[in-house]
Amino acid sequence: MMIEGTQEYSLNMGPQHPSTHGVFRMVVHLDGEVVTKVEPKIGYLHRGLEKMAESRTYTQFIPYTDRLDYLAGPHNSLGYVQAVEKLMDTEVPERAEYLRIIFAELGRIASHLVMIASGSLDISGWTPWSYCFRDRERILDLFEMTAGNRMTPNYFRIGGVSQDVPEEFMPALKSFLEDMPEMIEEYYGIFFGNEIAQSRMKSVGILPKELAENLLITGANLRASGVQYDVRKAEPYGIYDRFDFEIPVLYGCDTYDRHFIRLLEIQESKKIIEQAYKDIPAGPVMTKVPKVLKPPVGKVYHRVENPKGEMGWYIVSNGSTKPARVRIRTGAFVNVQMLPEIVKGWKIQDLVTIFASMDLVLGEVDK
Amino acid sequence: MFGKGLLKGLSITIKRLYGPNLTEYYPEVKPILPTRTRSSMVLEPEKCISCGLCINACPNQVIILTSEKDEKNKKVLQTYHMNMGRCLLCGLCTEACPTKALKLCQVYENAVYHRQELLWDMIARSKQANISSGKVE
Repeated sequence: MMIEGTQEYSLNMGPQHPSTHGVFRMVVHLDGEVVTKVEPKIGYLHRGLEKMAESRTYTQFIPYTDRLDYLAGPHNSLGYVQAVEKLMDTEVPERAEYLRIIFAELGRIASHLVMIASGSLDISGWTPWSYCFRDRERILDLFEMTAGNRMTPNYFRIGGVSQDVPEEFMPALKSFLEDMPEMIEEYYGIFFGNEIAQSRMKSVGILPKELAENLLITGANLRASGVQYDVRKAEPYGIYDRFDFEIPVLYGCDTYDRHFIRLLEIQESKKIIEQAYKDIPAGPVMTKVPKVLKPPVGKVYHRVENPKGEMGWYIVSNGSTKPARVRIRTGAFVNVQMLPEIVKGWKIQDLVTIFASMDLVLGEVDK
Repeated sequence: MFGKGLLKGLSITIKRLYGPNLTEYYPEVKPILPTRTRSSMVLEPEKCISCGLCINACPNQVIILTSEKDEKNKKVLQTYHMNMGRCLLCGLCTEACPTKALKLCQVYENAVYHRQELLWDMIARSKQANISSGKVE
């Protein structure tokens, strides 16, 4: 409640604020330290990717898909190439399917590690940040030795993957998987079990189940609000139906659970990669596709479970070498709308924590 | 007990304090990148047949090449430029190259002072020993 003679203060947070994880701006209305209203302002990283797709061939657009959610490049490309393959009715070799799963899940682990790291950094926990980045580095090294680039690997192609993994990849992956239980224990010990972190995050920024469903929140944010929904189980794409894994769900609906569910998801991703590592067959990694791709006239919608939420690719083909229209539904863009709803009444320091728990990547929000 | 988690966190940190050092002393020690790393481009002009497939594969119109026909009506490469300001280093051009004249290499110190320097003359670059070997010295 306002004290007589005082007035509401509006503060611009971002776009160059370190805790907005990119170039996100919010106009924060404050009553003293208490947030009364937040207006998200997006578009600072708008690159016009949907329009760019219309002026490039189907293959030429693949490098750009990595730049949507740049923390988990492979999963964006996976959605795109699978959508085009659905349109063209292309079969993908078995080995390529397994490699895609391994890369997509490694990307998910890398993305969640950044989320946990930046979440801890936002409440001044420097050490967990460096531990998470240390382990993420190993994933990026795996990407680099195979595809040639760390954050934007550009590895998937329409009809398979660009090249087979090098000899040293499988041993490196195995040793990473073996070290993972110890890493997870460390993250728990140093961040999630820490009382200061818990008191900053528990019961803060509640997103009730009904509100999450009504706002079309997807991904880990939805699962932390008690809804067990994951596209990998609800509508399995690729070869996800062959793997045995659980969809973790938490009922706390608060900032802590939104962080903690990422740790649980890392463990599930580990399970998937272990199975893929065990079952991966030998063979070709690329099917025969024409050099100039001309998908038949038609349209396709394909959705995948990106680390940030549900990602949908709607592609309209007019039979030429370039798509007539590409529409990208990204999880982070839709998840932004939960911010004004859940920060009301919390202090400005909590706003930073709540914002970190949403795990937004501005490449996905602004496209 | 309140504070148990803090002590556990401290014990992890102390354990790691005596672990191996993970940081690199760049630029004093230059890392050797994997052979597939896409950090620069190198051209072998004698292998190039001026077919122009790299130009068609490029998403960003980075490559500009000119060629002339010799007495056997065969194309001979005259100039080959890459506008690196626009290049994504996606590697689609090298995948399209039929003679593997255009290759990716691991030279990563590519920063320049002026925008004009981003227009790489690939024929002149191929004569620089450190770049044609594809490794940072």
